Amino acid sequence: MTTATSKTHITALTRQQHLDLYYYMRLNRELEGQMERLFRQNKIVGGLYSSLGQEAISVGTSYALGPDDWIAPMIRNIGALLVRGFKPRDILTQHMARYTSPTRGKDGTSHFGDLQVRHVVSPISMLGDLIPVMAGVAMGGRYLGQKIVAMTWIGDGGTSTGAFHEGLNLAAVQKAALVLIVENNQWAYSTPVERQVPIRDLADRAKAYGIKASIVDGNDVVAVILASREAVDLARAGMGPVLIEAKTMRMRGHAQHDGAEYIPKELIEAWKARDPLDRHEKFLTQNKLWTSETKNEIDGRIAREISADVEFAENSPFPPPEFAEEGVYCEGCHNIEPQWKRPKEELMPPRSSVIPAWPKSDSRAVVERPPGSKATHIESKNGSDAPQNKIAAKRSGPSPAKRKKVR
Amino acid sequence: MAETTYLEAIRQALFEEMDRDPAVLLMGEDVSVYGGAFKVSAGLLERFGWERVIDTPISETAIVGAAVGMGFTGLRPVAELQFIDFIACCFNQVTNFVAKSHYLWGAPVPIVLRGPCGGGVHGGPFHSANPEMYFVHTPGLKVVCPATPYDAKGLLKSAIRDNNPVLFLEHKFLYRRIKEELPEAEYTVPIGKAVVKREGRDLTILSYAAMLHNSLEAAAQLEKEGISTEVIDLRTLLPLDRETILKSLARTNKLLVVHEDTRTGGIAAEIAAIVTESAFEDLDGPIRRVTSLDTPVPYAPTLENYFLPNTEKIVAAARDLALY
Amino acid sequence: MPVDVVMPQMGESIFEGTITKWFKKPGDRIQRDEPLFEISTDKVDAEIPSPSAGVLKEIKVAEGKTVPVQTVVAVIEEASAAVAASAPVASVPAASSAAKEPAASPGPPPTAAKSTSSPAIPAMPTRIAPPSSPVSQAGSTEPAEESGDFANGHKIRSSPLVRRLAKENNIDLATLAGTGAGGRISKNDIMAAIQSASARPKPTPPDAPRPITSPPSTAPGSAGAVFHATLENAVPRERMYFGSYNASPMSVMRQRIAEHMVASKHVSPHVYSIDEADMTRIARIRERTKSEFEAKHGTKLTFMPFFIRACVEGLRSFPTVNASVDGTTVVLHREINVGMAVALDWGLIVPVIKNAEEKNFLGLARSVNDLAERARNKKLRPDEVQEGTFSITNPGVYGGLMGLPVINQPNVAILGIGSIEKRPVVVEDAIAIRSMVYLTLSYDHRVVDGAVAHQFMSKVKSLLESWTEEIL
Repeated sequence: MTTATSKTHITALTRQQHLDLYYYMRLNRELEGQMERLFRQNKIVGGLYSSLGQEAISVGTSYALGPDDWIAPMIRNIGALLVRGFKPRDILTQHMARYTSPTRGKDGTSHFGDLQVRHVVSPISMLGDLIPVMAGVAMGGRYLGQKIVAMTWIGDGGTSTGAFHEGLNLAAVQKAALVLIVENNQWAYSTPVERQVPIRDLADRAKAYGIKASIVDGNDVVAVILASREAVDLARAGMGPVLIEAKTMRMRGHAQHDGAEYIPKELIEAWKARDPLDRHEKFLTQNKLWTSETKNEIDGRIAREISADVEFAENSPFPPPEFAEEGVYCEGCHNIEPQWKRPKEELMPPRSSVIPAWPKSDSRAVVERPPGSKATHIESKNGSDAPQNKIAAKRSGPSPAKRKKVR
Repeated sequence: MAETTYLEAIRQALFEEMDRDPAVLLMGEDVSVYGGAFKVSAGLLERFGWERVIDTPISETAIVGAAVGMGFTGLRPVAELQFIDFIACCFNQVTNFVAKSHYLWGAPVPIVLRGPCGGGVHGGPFHSANPEMYFVHTPGLKVVCPATPYDAKGLLKSAIRDNNPVLFLEHKFLYRRIKEELPEAEYTVPIGKAVVKREGRDLTILSYAAMLHNSLEAAAQLEKEGISTEVIDLRTLLPLDRETILKSLARTNKLLVVHEDTRTGGIAAEIAAIVTESAFEDLDGPIRRVTSLDTPVPYAPTLENYFLPNTEKIVAAARDLALY
Repeated sequence: MPVDVVMPQMGESIFEGTITKWFKKPGDRIQRDEPLFEISTDKVDAEIPSPSAGVLKEIKVAEGKTVPVQTVVAVIEEASAAVAASAPVASVPAASSAAKEPAASPGPPPTAAKSTSSPAIPAMPTRIAPPSSPVSQAGSTEPAEESGDFANGHKIRSSPLVRRLAKENNIDLATLAGTGAGGRISKNDIMAAIQSASARPKPTPPDAPRPITSPPSTAPGSAGAVFHATLENAVPRERMYFGSYNASPMSVMRQRIAEHMVASKHVSPHVYSIDEADMTRIARIRERTKSEFEAKHGTKLTFMPFFIRACVEGLRSFPTVNASVDGTTVVLHREINVGMAVALDWGLIVPVIKNAEEKNFLGLARSVNDLAERARNKKLRPDEVQEGTFSITNPGVYGGLMGLPVINQPNVAILGIGSIEKRPVVVEDAIAIRSMVYLTLSYDHRVVDGAVAHQFMSKVKSLLESWTEEIL
């Protein structure tokens, strides 16, 4: 596990940034608490998902991005939406199915986005599918000459899907500027991670895709943002996708309807002690980055903001019934204009013309190991590992005792 | 322009649109150096380069998902599925991301998903699919099935320019078998409009893709028996051109729908429901259909020929209907 | 062996009948041809004789119920092996209280009984080929082949398109034969019907006793569409229901009469020519000879045969008055079939004397009396109430100087006879007392012009006034 030293922790961000992190995390938590109350008052119907205990991940990772970068949040990444500029009222009206919501009532929870300004892609409920989509976003941005990074999240359960594999594989092969945060909160609904995957660290999967990965304490917001910055820089530099496994714990059930009795109480208690907000507050206090006044001011601001936005949401109308018929097709409602950041001529003939043959360096047909790497299999004398050569080697090669063992 | 095959017409459309708009690119399996499994994209790499003609891994979900993501950045990717049968592998992406994004959160997905469909080439059950109805049943998509080189080119151009996701089904049987002269000047064919290929009085045959040609053959035979058959090429299945269908029905009062798709839930069923709802009193006979059997596509030629519709079956059904 | 008794088809376009009375109950013995039950239909009420001898096993349709033709209404357990024909002969004992000899002034009025001043005339049927010959069908008749199966509108096979076109063009599908698959009425058939002669029926039952008369080969004009009268109110109904009243639904016959009247007035522009005839001569002849006539011929001598005879001569001279109008085609009938309106307690009926031009006076007299009698007794056959070419009505029997009758379609004229009364008239510049009668000809000005009408009337009048024919 990569843990940052205290010094780096403090100096890596400005004071304001430290306070921002607190603000967003606190806003995240208070907003979700409010939504829980609204749900129990039947003002939010359908499903309600909580990211309690995981705020540092949503906030820390998205905070590392630039304004032109793209995110695709999942269900427990409301913090990322807030960092990107959505307001509590956007999230409240979404959950309360009002006409003033970003989707005007067409979808609920965090299923909304903004292509133009905040560059947020809405998820669908199926897991893993955001990964190939965000790979495409990264590829598209690069195509247009933009130096963007696409960031998305996936849970430990979601890494089991085919879409995870296909998307990450494509992103890796294409060296797309994708940062994938694997939030390992130990539980996929009622399934513990030990039942979900056969490995301990999901970051190990990165090796299969030839990409870099890091493991971070998901409840340490500064560690998260530092790891994210590193990943974002690498991706932006064209190093291909980067995977961050953030270790954390889901402090509530899968959704409001899930009491999560299947989670051992001791586990919850242990992780309560590692609560990200508590930790950051302590960090700020200990390092004199704020006073209680500052805290109160921020908390007060948050309370007022949420209260105002709850009122706005509660007073918002529901969409008119006929609205259900609109929007199936885009017929003139959008003018699609990509943001070119490079000369288009580069992609047009004659400048785009190439020789239609595979470059030699792409060919893996020749089995030549990169210099300095170790053999992990039997080597026959003439350097080829074709089975017939192995047999030939057996007949004519050195005695078995002298050969390296297959690991 | 010389006589152009259906396949060549598709390639021309890709060339022309990629020439016209740098935001258009092609991605799929074996499309760059190889030029595509059927050589539809031969020559594209040479002209437009590696960034615009992208070979992908065998990952339909990733191919379609990446196309969606590119679409979100404002590009117009054309994603090729090597055989349209493999769209089953990315059904989730197509029905949940591609089709729903605009309706749910106002994000248009201006992509084209294209691939070879159809049987009659000894392709067997996994290389002969006609999957159109899964997607005609999915609001948010457009589904296009050209039958002629002219329409293939014109419709692909329209599909690429459309802000909506278009499923473009190229019938592989027609790739090299159908040729016609194409205009020199640029043209497009509008999505959502059927076309009357042959006028007639006694009954109307609605068809599309490969079966259109069988229907025209049947109409020529029926003419000799004194039965005057109107033949309409639907061209687009979603959105369906109700107006042309109903207008023809008002004149001939008898409808026969011919499609290579299997029987149950084929477009004929939908058309029958639409016609009965909107124009019941224009019917002088039941709506009939000639379709493939409700089975997977079998491999042996004797089985596949029995499975598929053909000109004789169309003639027999049309004759029955005309004499009703 | 059980024999089905079915609701007969009393006319080509009749598709249902109402059982008005059962004369037997289950368990009763019944003879072949014995009256078994009585029905009421659009056109005619009739007594239906039993198709076979035996015991009435079961009554399936109760009195007062209306069922489609060919419905099995009863079952007879047959006594003999012979299977009888199901000839629906119209023979019904009538509870007729029509005054046969209403009080009138000079001469006994014709036996044509009651009518109102504007005589209501029951709808004349279009062609029917009655299944009336005894050798035609077995006791349990099956529904006829499709083209003859006019059980009700729904049994006729057509298509939504055909039904719509029929409705839009007021064509009765029951009158068309189908050339589509299985005999259905196809688009071609309905289009042909719309274009050619309107709704000319082509009956094809197995034993049509009459040959089919096709439209004239000199097809001069085009067909007209059939007007369908709907009975409407002229004022909102609230204005009718006030105070104390008794509302009862019209009988089928009354409804048909009502519809016919509306249709006739709608279609034919009615013009009236009124004349008066001096009946003194005929009155004297009749006075002199009526006892002898009755004794010799066994039938009463009324005024009606005189009038009919005169009309026949008039129609011979003016064939336009003996015609029908089909759109823009004038159909001149070669036969002269004179219908005479007979008032019934329950309505009106117009039995027709066929080929009146071939009958002598005695023949006419016999026909008149026979038809009137059987009309009142509900014993008319369907063919006796159709194919008239000219009609006569005699409202004068009930008083009143004259009437202005409604044309009995598809005729183009009807003669109304007022009461025969002694009136002072001028004869050779002196006043004489004569038995006079007002005659009114209502005629259809589409084909009959005033000149023709008046000339016709003059001829009738002069024949009546100078009667010369030997009648005994």
